[in-house]
Amino acid sequence: MADAETGDADRLKTLFDHVDTDLDRLKRYAVDGLVPSAAIRAAAIDDVERLQSVATERELSVIAHGGRTMLDLGMPPRGYDVALDLSGMNQVVDYEPNDFTITVQAGMTLAELQRHLATNGQFLPLDHPHFERATLGGVCAVGRGGLRRNSFGGPRDWLIGMRMVKADGTGIKGGGKVVKNVSGYDLPKLFARSLGTLGIIVEVTLKLRPQPASDQIVALNAPTFESALAAARAAANAAPFLNGCVALSAEASANAHGLGARLLHDQPAVLLRANGLESAASEVLAQALRAVRESGLEGPERTTNAIVETWQAVADLELQTDKDDVRLRLGLPPGNLARAQQILADRLRDATSRIAAADSGLMFIDVRSVDADTLKTLRRDLGPLQGRLTIESGPLELKRACDVWGPAGPGARLMHNIKEQFDPQGILNPGRYVDGI
Amino acid sequence: MKTPTPLVRDLIDAIGEEAVVWHDEDLLVYEYDGTIDRGNPDVIALPANTDDVVNLIKIANKYDAPVTPRGAGTGLSGGALAAKGGVIIGMNRMRRILDVDPENKTALVQPGVVNLDLGTEAERHGLAYAPDPSSQRACTIGGNIAENAGGPHTLAWGTTTNHVLALELVTADGEVQWIGHDTRDEPGYDLVGCVVGSEGTVGIVTQALVRLVPRPTAVRTMLAIYDSVRQASNAVSAVVASGIVPAALEMIDKMTIAAVEPVLNTGFPLDAEAVLLVEVDGPESQVEAEGARVEGILNRFEPREVRSATDPEEREQLWAGRKGAIGALGQIMPNYYLLDGVVPRTQLPDVLDGVYEIAERYRLPVANMFHAGDGNLHPCLLFDEREPGATERVLDAGGEIMRLCVDAGGAITGEHGVGLEKRDYLPWIFTEADMETMKSLRAAFGPTENFNPCKIFPKGHGCGEAGHQHAQHQIAKFGPKAFV
Repeated sequence: MADAETGDADRLKTLFDHVDTDLDRLKRYAVDGLVPSAAIRAAAIDDVERLQSVATERELSVIAHGGRTMLDLGMPPRGYDVALDLSGMNQVVDYEPNDFTITVQAGMTLAELQRHLATNGQFLPLDHPHFERATLGGVCAVGRGGLRRNSFGGPRDWLIGMRMVKADGTGIKGGGKVVKNVSGYDLPKLFARSLGTLGIIVEVTLKLRPQPASDQIVALNAPTFESALAAARAAANAAPFLNGCVALSAEASANAHGLGARLLHDQPAVLLRANGLESAASEVLAQALRAVRESGLEGPERTTNAIVETWQAVADLELQTDKDDVRLRLGLPPGNLARAQQILADRLRDATSRIAAADSGLMFIDVRSVDADTLKTLRRDLGPLQGRLTIESGPLELKRACDVWGPAGPGARLMHNIKEQFDPQGILNPGRYVDGI
Repeated sequence: MKTPTPLVRDLIDAIGEEAVVWHDEDLLVYEYDGTIDRGNPDVIALPANTDDVVNLIKIANKYDAPVTPRGAGTGLSGGALAAKGGVIIGMNRMRRILDVDPENKTALVQPGVVNLDLGTEAERHGLAYAPDPSSQRACTIGGNIAENAGGPHTLAWGTTTNHVLALELVTADGEVQWIGHDTRDEPGYDLVGCVVGSEGTVGIVTQALVRLVPRPTAVRTMLAIYDSVRQASNAVSAVVASGIVPAALEMIDKMTIAAVEPVLNTGFPLDAEAVLLVEVDGPESQVEAEGARVEGILNRFEPREVRSATDPEEREQLWAGRKGAIGALGQIMPNYYLLDGVVPRTQLPDVLDGVYEIAERYRLPVANMFHAGDGNLHPCLLFDEREPGATERVLDAGGEIMRLCVDAGGAITGEHGVGLEKRDYLPWIFTEADMETMKSLRAAFGPTENFNPCKIFPKGHGCGEAGHQHAQHQIAKFGPKAFV
């Protein structure tokens, strides 16, 4: 195998200027302990097309990298020959502010995009952990909404066009540059949330939002995580136009404080966010706070002007901070959150940090340790609540013993068919996605 | 007396005589939708449940008969036409709202539920179903899903694809699958995102779990009257650029007013060149402040008048003029051809000028009523199909208008679908490789030759519709590709 790998690396060196085969540097690209035999830094779409042609010809497994913030996500790869680093493709391709759309290369970071848009009073309303490093290509490939997904949805809802390179090196596109479009199949939606298993996302076109005139945030302490969750649910029901509505456990509050959310301390808390015109944001928050009070929370309301920093600190908790912990993610209808929490409290006694987006039914749970059997039982118990529990990160042994994505569900047959159509050799991020895809 | 074919007999055995339509005079109703083209189905089957749909597809497959799903037939791209004959599966009997869950803000519905009926049911729970196509009194949720339907109020809330969580789908090979999840973003490919907007070419939706949204506590609708279309479209650009996202931002031009006003008495002045309908909604204080700002912007472009309505009856009256506009066009000419181009919003004023120029050159009256805030144009070319050569002129002008949109960086359809009528124009925006990739996605859902044939993609065999021949004029004139 070593010979074949050397041969592959040599072949790549004849084709690209930036082929890295230095073992120490390649370790940066390791996925679940597996180190590729070469890394290529793409400078243009053409590089990606050429790489995929070679990869197809020689059946090389390719894993695309952006900011590498979510590399723990997924099953250990079945094969991994080449790391394709897209972080150098980080330019704005086309931006007409008055159209409220922008086209950027996949390697641009979310933070850089937001800075660019802010000069025109615009933004892309996606929360993503570690947004200074996370790239648009990566955010779209992971394809999940964040803590404000109830208000803003996920990447799929903001993507209007995309350029991708297929497994065989063919460059294609889907969608366009207009905000409403049913011309042809919606390939951008297929590629968003495909985790690099169908093709390489190289360019994205996004819809944008105007920055709100006013953005307001309030935190209240709660005696327990359960009471914080109940208060947050009450707020979400009473004030449906709330922009964000999060319950945090004591550990989550403390961690967020450490990351810059100064209005959170080491107690369970509710964090509410509203935006719009100043009077409207205040009206919505007041509505929500009445419900929070009625649910029984006492104590002072704390607020801050450091809205973005505070929110981002909480969003960053989505990614594990302590490497030894197991990080779980639960998605379910929001009305089932309280019952799910009972089950979790029962089964995961050493859970530490817990964060719940109470308006959209999303929860992140950290546990010191957990075995595969407990997780399987939990999945069974959460099934009737339409809960889907995934392992975001954790020790390799756990990932091997328990599919991080959980049972594939009824759409699996179609997903396998699609994978077969788009990547018949199985060379793109092999084995890391649902049901072994 | 016509005798039933073996196919018809099998269909009758499967779902009963009263659910199968096959006599020639009864088939006429299913020959057309809102477009110029016609299709001649051999038989219509009206399933009552998912099992029926599975059986019908399997029977059709046994006879190699083409299958075309159909909702209310209000589509405007020929999507519901049986382009190669065969079986139309009409979903109208599956029209129950199975569940509304106010806590999780979702509804589970059958595909034949009429859009407005879902809206009315949601309202009883203080909620709304956001997509509201102008045909919402007739069009069905299944059809909305197929076409990724929009409507005036999708400017703020997004189109159908932003409001569907999960679907029960019978694929082209007759397999039933649930796809999607009760919540957003669950792991796995976004199959729902692939099916919504696929124009009924990958399967038949038999149940849908859709999102409902909170109803705004306050709404204000403004009507601004302008003496030129240019002023009105500049006002649209200014509102969009201001950073306000109105709930709706619609334009209606003089020709449309002339059709609407005598029938609906909406109070639009007959001599105005264009009116804008702008709606803001949300919390009370937001509506008050944003309403004032929008009014200020509208006033910068020298309107003749800006009116404002906050009570439901007045607002209803204003919207009746917009949503009833297409129906009223019959006042002017017996036929219309409605286009669905979409352009980047800054291109709107120039593209509108171009639309009027093309219509004039082809000697066709044109009425414009459209979702200005989204950049989604709906030029309506008016004609009388009995006049020799009129249909041909309309199709040629339509092709030229689509080309205009493509050259402005836009696309050939915003919410009606490519269907049968625009498939020859798809290569104006997509390369061969793009289209081959789309077809490979289709193939993942099952065999494709006989399931809803001739839709979306060019070069189908035996799909000899009128539009196809005329599209060739425009293809020849502009070349097969441009903005790819």
